[in-house]
Amino acid sequence: MIKRTTKIAMKRAKKKKNPFKFKLGSSKKNQVHLARRHARERRFRVFGFSAIAASMIFLLVFFASIIADGYSAFTQAQLRIVVTFDQSLVEKGNYRKILQNSLKQQFPEAKGRKQRFMLYKLVSKGGVNSLRKLVDNNPQIIGETDQVWLPASSLIDMYVKGKTNNEVDESKRKIKDLQIKWLEELQANNSVRSVFNTAFFTNGDSREPEQAGILGSIMGSIFSIVVCMLISMSIGIGAAVYLEEFAPKNKLTDLIEVNINNLAAVPSIIFGLLALAIYLNFFGMPRSSSLVGGFALAMLVLPTIVIASRNALAAVPPSIRFAATALGATKVQVTLHHTIPYALPGILTGTILGVARALGETAPLLMIGMVAFVADVPTGILDPATSLPTQIYLWADSPELGFVEKTSACIIILLLILGIVNGTAAYIRKKFQYDW
Amino acid sequence: MARFDKIIKGYFFLCAAFSVLITVLIVFSVLFESVRFFNIVPVWDFLFGTQWSPQTAMRADQAGSSGSFGAVPLFMGTVLITFIAMCIAAPVGLFSAIYLSEYAPKKTVNSIKPILEMLAGVPTVVYGYFAVITFSPFLRGVGDFFGLSIASESAMVTGIVMGIMIIPYVMSLSNDAMNAVPQSLKDASTGMGATRSETVRLVVIPAALPGIISAMLLGISRGIGETMIVVMAAGLAAKLTANPFEAVTTVTVQIVTLLVGDQEFDSAKTLAAFALGLTLFFFTLVLNVAALFISRKYREQYD
Repeated sequence: MIKRTTKIAMKRAKKKKNPFKFKLGSSKKNQVHLARRHARERRFRVFGFSAIAASMIFLLVFFASIIADGYSAFTQAQLRIVVTFDQSLVEKGNYRKILQNSLKQQFPEAKGRKQRFMLYKLVSKGGVNSLRKLVDNNPQIIGETDQVWLPASSLIDMYVKGKTNNEVDESKRKIKDLQIKWLEELQANNSVRSVFNTAFFTNGDSREPEQAGILGSIMGSIFSIVVCMLISMSIGIGAAVYLEEFAPKNKLTDLIEVNINNLAAVPSIIFGLLALAIYLNFFGMPRSSSLVGGFALAMLVLPTIVIASRNALAAVPPSIRFAATALGATKVQVTLHHTIPYALPGILTGTILGVARALGETAPLLMIGMVAFVADVPTGILDPATSLPTQIYLWADSPELGFVEKTSACIIILLLILGIVNGTAAYIRKKFQYDW
Repeated sequence: MARFDKIIKGYFFLCAAFSVLITVLIVFSVLFESVRFFNIVPVWDFLFGTQWSPQTAMRADQAGSSGSFGAVPLFMGTVLITFIAMCIAAPVGLFSAIYLSEYAPKKTVNSIKPILEMLAGVPTVVYGYFAVITFSPFLRGVGDFFGLSIASESAMVTGIVMGIMIIPYVMSLSNDAMNAVPQSLKDASTGMGATRSETVRLVVIPAALPGIISAMLLGISRGIGETMIVVMAAGLAAKLTANPFEAVTTVTVQIVTLLVGDQEFDSAKTLAAFALGLTLFFFTLVLNVAALFISRKYREQYD
């Protein structure tokens, strides 16, 4: 390698091509040597630059691919169906039959069980609920015939969004030619539209991709973060104050310090094992609940908060403490009335960064069972719940095509929330931090 | 007043002591279940056995009812994936740090650093999803182009994505170490006529070496303990292989597969997860302590 570069440098020196803007040394040997050194310098610089560029490019590809996969989940295809609200069926509450009859009427060419079954699959199973809601809100509609916009099934939704592969043989794809024909008929009548997917934000999880939403997992995340923060803040800040303000320099303090630094680097799954063994097995707390999730996350973010709070406290200049002490304040008063208030922006910033970490954490929640299928939106910290990251994990494992865009959309939401949280931390730091 | 002070002080002390309690709880809970596991399966078989198939028996007299718990394939899988990850993260992270601390103008650093730190803030489950959905098909396409058969859950895919995840840690820790090298040393080197790269190679890196090594060790520790990327993108079958294009499994993957969904804690299968957890905790602890020790002990004092 060195030989080759030497040769190139010699060649350059021979041709008197000076690649550098300054004068080369006098002797030829020096010129060669210098040229080689400068070539190495440039190479080194290129390495450094490409390392940064590689990370940047990755970040770009990463965001681009997730947005490209996920943005379509924010819309949902709807079909306009002429529905007859048959009185006897409404009284029986058999809205499924109402929907099926209306579909049959609109597409009379569907013959036989198999074709009818294909026909019913155009509309989402959630369409039945939409009809029920419509009748509940407006009872005069009973007995009438009306045009109703109903959510399309995931199959149709994917087709409308162009995500299905229609080149392959009919037997190998889920959407059949007959269904495509019906859909084209609807499209010709302007009876297919694309609307904002509110269900994605107002529903819990579902087996049907078009009905699955993230509200349940968002509530689960909020509950567990609240529990996590209540615990980790009250303990973390206290620990930081003790270590920074009160702790005598001895072995015990040293042990606590090393221990906290270590805890910050323990793999998160270990905290999951701990929560599983202690909270679930020993104390018998409810499995899958956000309460246990919050406990597990609290232990996980505790070191982050302690370290950040200590740095904030250490940044408060000793003159503040001296002044307060000189005026007769006790050590505790100095700390509570002066040091902590001045360090508060830094403490808050650290805490918020802890929240961000807890929001994205998945592994410990897997251990305590916050990955179950939970269709109901949790209403309290004892209800079984999922969180945003575990929801991503669950959906990523689902084989249905419709869940691919939902997963990516859920990731977009999670990243947005994390962005907001981190942005808040940066804002607080910038706005309220004292510059001593 | 004095009493109030005492109470407050006591509260602060209890908070600090609680952090020690967490470590104690971790050790005890994992150790307790592990001891139960080692009563069923000898330690020796667990640490040096090469066969991993932890199926539970339905009946006691069933053939192969005990399952086999040789964890060597898991250790090897973990090592392989972490090695690939560090092959990516170490050079890219180190060169990024060098570029940021020595070459880039301050304005660029201020705008680039937060962007790179975004990489550290991305949840690992998102990396895992990216590995499965985007990167694995891409790498398989590349492999097909060169006539290589790459398993869709190959160690390569997982390792590279994990490497990308580790880059920001290595970068920011080694950047800190390099920034701590006093300017006077660099100036002296420049004054002797050294180029920038020579200053970096001969002065900055040797001076920052303890910090850089501890950054690498922490990166390795993170890789070994990483769960979500491997759970989503690595394989489940324990195979003893060094071929990076085959699917391997890791310690964390097995902990998750053994425990998720299971609610009984008396079979060797579920207890094995705790034994794996203990091993994982032990190794990461050694790495973390080593990193802490190196950066403390060998740090040059310049003041």
